[in-house]
Amino acid sequence: MVDTESLVAVLPELLLVMFAIVIPAIGLGTKDSRILGFTALAGIALAAVGPALQILEDRNAVFFPSDTGLLVLDQFSALFMLIFLSVAFYVVLASIYFTKDDKHQPEYYTLILLATAGMMVVASATDLFVLFVGIELTSLSSYALVAFRKKDVKGAEAATKYFIIGGLSSGFALFGISLIFGVTGTTDFTLMNEWLIANPYPNDLVPVVWLAMIMIVVGFGFKIAMVPFHMWAPDVYEGAPTTITAMLAAGSKKMGFVALFKLFFIGLIAIKADWEFLIAIMAILTMTVGNLMALNQTNIKRMLAYSSIAQAGYILIAIPVATDYALAGGIFQILTHAFMKGGAFIVVATLATVAVGESINSYKGLGKRSPFLALAMTIFLFSLAGIPPLAGFASKFFLFWAPIQAATDTGADWLIWLSVAGIINSAISLFYYVRIVKYMYVEKGESEDKLVISKTMMAAVAICLILTVVIGIYPGPFYDACWNAAQALLSYSVPLP
Amino acid sequence: MDYTWLFQLAWIIPILPLISFLIVGFLGAKFSDKGGMIAIALVGAAMALSLAIAYAALTGGLPSHGAEGAYYTDTIDWVVLGSGFTLSIGIFIDTLTALMLIVVSFVATLVVIYSIGYMGEEGDRRRRYFTEISLFVGVMLGLVLASSFSLLFIFWELVGLCSYLLIGFWFERPSAASAAKKAFLVTRVGDVMFMIGLFILFNLFGTLNYVEMFDPEVLTEVDQSLLTWGCFFMFGGAIGKSAQFPLHDWLPDAMEGPTTVSALIHAATMVKAGVYLVARMFPLLVHSYEWLPLFIAVIGVVTALMAATMALNSPNIKRVLAYSTISQLGFMFLGLGTGAYLFAVGIYEEGSLGYSAAMFHLMNHAFFKALLFLSAGAVIHFVHTEEMSKMGGLRKYMPITSIVMLLGAISIAGIPPLSGFWSKDELLAVVQSAGSDNWVFYLLYAMGVCAAFMTAFYMFRMWFKTFTGPEGEATKHAAAHMAHDDHGHKEMEHAKPGKIKEHTPAVMTVPLMLLAVLAVFSGMAALFFFGTPFYGIIFFEEPIVETGAEILENVFTAWTTYLSIAVAAGGIGLAYLAFYKKSIDVDAFVNRPAVKPLYNMLLARYGFTKGYDWVGVKAVYGFSLVLDWFDLHVIDGIVNGLARGTAKAGRGLRRVQTGFVQTYAGVVVGGAVLMMLLGYFILVLLGVVRPW
Repeated sequence: MVDTESLVAVLPELLLVMFAIVIPAIGLGTKDSRILGFTALAGIALAAVGPALQILEDRNAVFFPSDTGLLVLDQFSALFMLIFLSVAFYVVLASIYFTKDDKHQPEYYTLILLATAGMMVVASATDLFVLFVGIELTSLSSYALVAFRKKDVKGAEAATKYFIIGGLSSGFALFGISLIFGVTGTTDFTLMNEWLIANPYPNDLVPVVWLAMIMIVVGFGFKIAMVPFHMWAPDVYEGAPTTITAMLAAGSKKMGFVALFKLFFIGLIAIKADWEFLIAIMAILTMTVGNLMALNQTNIKRMLAYSSIAQAGYILIAIPVATDYALAGGIFQILTHAFMKGGAFIVVATLATVAVGESINSYKGLGKRSPFLALAMTIFLFSLAGIPPLAGFASKFFLFWAPIQAATDTGADWLIWLSVAGIINSAISLFYYVRIVKYMYVEKGESEDKLVISKTMMAAVAICLILTVVIGIYPGPFYDACWNAAQALLSYSVPLP
Repeated sequence: MDYTWLFQLAWIIPILPLISFLIVGFLGAKFSDKGGMIAIALVGAAMALSLAIAYAALTGGLPSHGAEGAYYTDTIDWVVLGSGFTLSIGIFIDTLTALMLIVVSFVATLVVIYSIGYMGEEGDRRRRYFTEISLFVGVMLGLVLASSFSLLFIFWELVGLCSYLLIGFWFERPSAASAAKKAFLVTRVGDVMFMIGLFILFNLFGTLNYVEMFDPEVLTEVDQSLLTWGCFFMFGGAIGKSAQFPLHDWLPDAMEGPTTVSALIHAATMVKAGVYLVARMFPLLVHSYEWLPLFIAVIGVVTALMAATMALNSPNIKRVLAYSTISQLGFMFLGLGTGAYLFAVGIYEEGSLGYSAAMFHLMNHAFFKALLFLSAGAVIHFVHTEEMSKMGGLRKYMPITSIVMLLGAISIAGIPPLSGFWSKDELLAVVQSAGSDNWVFYLLYAMGVCAAFMTAFYMFRMWFKTFTGPEGEATKHAAAHMAHDDHGHKEMEHAKPGKIKEHTPAVMTVPLMLLAVLAVFSGMAALFFFGTPFYGIIFFEEPIVETGAEILENVFTAWTTYLSIAVAAGGIGLAYLAFYKKSIDVDAFVNRPAVKPLYNMLLARYGFTKGYDWVGVKAVYGFSLVLDWFDLHVIDGIVNGLARGTAKAGRGLRRVQTGFVQTYAGVVVGGAVLMMLLGYFILVLLGVVRPW
């Protein structure tokens, strides 16, 4: 039943879509990127009110529609909505200056808002098919955003690749979803799990569910750039306008995790024994390949792209461990990664506006040319490497501790290897992060001119910087929010009999 | 007297240098001395407060907690983890903390004062120097005051970061930049182990707070096997930080930093963090399986001996001191390991003595090694080289420096009654006595004595080569320069003709003299002049309360004492004959065919430098290149075939002309197939499905 109360659950999305429609209308009157950008920011801020209240006042979950419940606003979806909205906020803030000379500005902001709305739908979906629609909304918007500078050959090529691989992956996912529907007769995560519990082994249909699961993992694995479905990521991250790269890495990738969390923690938790090893192997593979490939990159966007792949590997740890601590740790890592990796990309974007290239060599001597950006970049990189007391350390601490906790709790000792792999990998990752820091402060650059940076872009960097430091020093409330989100998500999973 | 109010102020100690860090960092350029005075004032204030608190703690002002001993702690919750787990931050003060506070704050203050002179020629860069050194002092004091292993780990990483920044202070030298990186990365290997250890212990105890973990009831209940492995991994962190075998090779390279940094961070304080960590987890160690303390002792003595051999022929004055630091840290681990072993097998009094002796040596070493480094700094400041072959005959130009450095050398060599003697002798005596329980300790004792002999030898080799003998080219050059300078000054009128004054400024010589006083007297003072001897203050469970006379009697009736003195004297004597009297032809000796390869091997640091490079550059980086190649060629090759098949199957793909996308799509399809095979394989392994 659709009543006014249940509309609260979709109000954030509705607000974003409304603003997405209004912006082109404003665009008819003015081409000033500031007016368009700040309108988008207003929409994002308004949309954030509902989820923020949900978390701060610890409200009860609201379903839409209230009887069947396709979408839900609870602590889990509210937290992810806030993450996606903050990513959209700093991306738009940085874009105001970054795209000021580009054509088609209204469309740019509209697409960002629509992509964010799609991510939020994924965050609140309780149904596999609704979730898929959300993913598609985000994907289609982001294909266009990657190709936003259509005269740019690299961007156009990246968009083509992104589109084709994305289409292929969507095909996989959709095929998987239809198989699941065919077998279980439902696309609702909770009901799916109930069916699996009601029809245990031996059962002729279970292999089909299992095949469907792999299909869906392939489809969603594309979004999170899981090895071996990662190859598009460096090309697309490199080719896209850098603000959009930030959104892909910090927002749309995290959406893939939300989808996987819902699939595994609710829908398929009954057959956990079938997939835990598989995902564990994928996690270790993903982090290792990501880190090793990052070692010899010379383009900073490609390096950050591979580092994102590695980070995806860390977050994947949460799935096979499948305890509330692991899920909370995974969510926390997503939260911190949204700011440290997004911040790093915004620094790259900011530097691109003052003609500092993407090659690592052009970062030489940055410490002298722009002390603020160099310091910000250093903090983001150290945070990514997990140096305390920065956000990345706090989240990695909880994430890597979870497998050991689970191992002693449940006796599944093999889980410890996930922690060990994660810790060793983050030690390896320090090699390539330190190299950038060394270039910025130690090496002499070709130019020594001071850089003049736009205020809005500085503000975007500053937002990420402050959060990276604050979360690191005072992780308590942030971790609490992640913990509550994890509890909210797990409350839908039916306990095994 | 109730000192609680004083302990409540302890959190201010690390804050003071951090304020200096902020002031100098943001406003330092505005001051004519680039913030040096501010750093001195605030680090000095931190020292004053540290000394007051340490005094209160060491004179019995700590609140007693029955079986758990006396300590003061104050914590606030930091993160509450879902159900039951809490991470808290706060301060913890016991006598061990007090000792570390004295050592760190005192040496730090002297080094910062000394830096005014030593870094005087660095111009605007002094701001960066004083900023970084203030940060270091703040986080190092935070490290020793931390109330839990988790907070300790955070400071642990931060001191590592400061060390990275300060080693690379002269970053325009490629060697300094790469040394900084090496130090940072190699110690991270240890940190990885530390973190694994933290997780294991956190799981075991549900907390990382010292107070809750060291509860005797809890300790007897926990799983001993997990406890041992947790401690083992924590010790891995100590190996990295304290430059123990096999992660020792970063420390000699770290000498690329300013000598003040070497003195403070890489001799007196940060490298002691590993020893401090092991001392801090001593209650856990004594409940571990016996093999772990034994392992710690073995690592310690192997490092002590190996580093001592490398110091024998090093041509660089700072490297000699670096090897010596590694070696002395090895002694401390030997003492701690032996002490914990004795506790684990139930010999409490001797075990407690092992712990005390190691801590005693830590304190004495901080003073005499800081003295040696700062003296070496004065020498380098004067002659502008670190090569000892270019020095020689400096005694004439630097009388004060030569005397204080000689005192430091006698102290470390272990000649009574200087401080190094008391602690090293006591430490070795404990190891020897442990031999009656396990013969391995006799072997460790023999190795320790060998290392002690070498210590005396290489220290005096260094002193003779630097200060005596014919003047080297750098000495001549510096002397000429000095004479030239002095002619321009009016001070010459005051100096008596024929007598040359010390050329080092007072801001440098005064800290040296203060440290020299401690290098001579700290041992005696701690043992004899305070109400309770050192062993009764810094102890573990079984204080050994003896009067000064009893200590003297115990020390000088044991044969081990005379052996210690004999090897020290022997080492000095050999150095005297070889490098002062020149009655032994060293060059001829080392050029013998049997000796030459050994000599070169020592210079090459047993090949560890190459070994690290091999692991770092060849193995890891090489693997990355292989992977890259694999991605480009092998996968492409397989995939092109696959992609061709796919393209034939799907008309959509055929239209795409860019080969790359085909590749990627192929990988997606291939990956999906692989995942299915892998998943199927796992299911078969698990017995969920039968292969059909």
